Amino acid sequence: MPHKLLLPNKYKRIGWIIFIPSFILGLCIIIFGFESSWLNAKVFSIFPSQIFGDKKFFSTIPVNLTNTIVGTMFIIGCLLVGFTKEKNEDEYIAGIRLSSLLWAVFVNYLLLLLAFILIYDTAFLNVMIYNMFTVLLIFILRFNYILYKNAKSVSNEK
Amino acid sequence: MKNNIKVERAINGLTQEELANKVSVSRQTINAMEANKYVPSTVLALKIAKVFNKFVEDVFFLEEDD
Repeated sequence: MPHKLLLPNKYKRIGWIIFIPSFILGLCIIIFGFESSWLNAKVFSIFPSQIFGDKKFFSTIPVNLTNTIVGTMFIIGCLLVGFTKEKNEDEYIAGIRLSSLLWAVFVNYLLLLLAFILIYDTAFLNVMIYNMFTVLLIFILRFNYILYKNAKSVSNEK
Repeated sequence: MKNNIKVERAINGLTQEELANKVSVSRQTINAMEANKYVPSTVLALKIAKVFNKFVEDVFFLEEDD
């Protein structure tokens, strides 16, 4: 049962190439608050900040693009890695993919629930930032872990 | 559901890899079925039975809790 919503396998490699550096850069941003000053730019925004400045929809605003670029790369990388066919895609792997998605959504919301109860105020903003990426991240980790485990059990058996 | 894919495979002198290629799935899938970790779709069950030249019921069996 081939799944129509999946990209061909060759995009997986491109996905990893985008995913790994953006993951590392993302960690740098989180840990060191790293921001490239040459990425300051004026961008088009449909919904400006409501806290600071005048409220103008569909206007250009000055921002630093570091977060935007790394975040975009990370999401594209995750999508390419998570939603491309495996080399030997079949119904069993499709099943593993679906159950990994279910598992990821479930675990993600359990973690969010914990964070909801235990973290308050501005610290919760961090939770919201991480939470944008964790569903895809947990899914990719889980899916590849199961595939790895299966591949190992296959190579043990003859 | 149980199956005797492993036995049928031995009778027909096929490796997991060869059977996997014949029914165009991965070797992991054959391995998982033999370990009773995966219940195949009807299409795959029919294909496997066809390779062994048997009826599906001769290769796959219901268990009591099915």
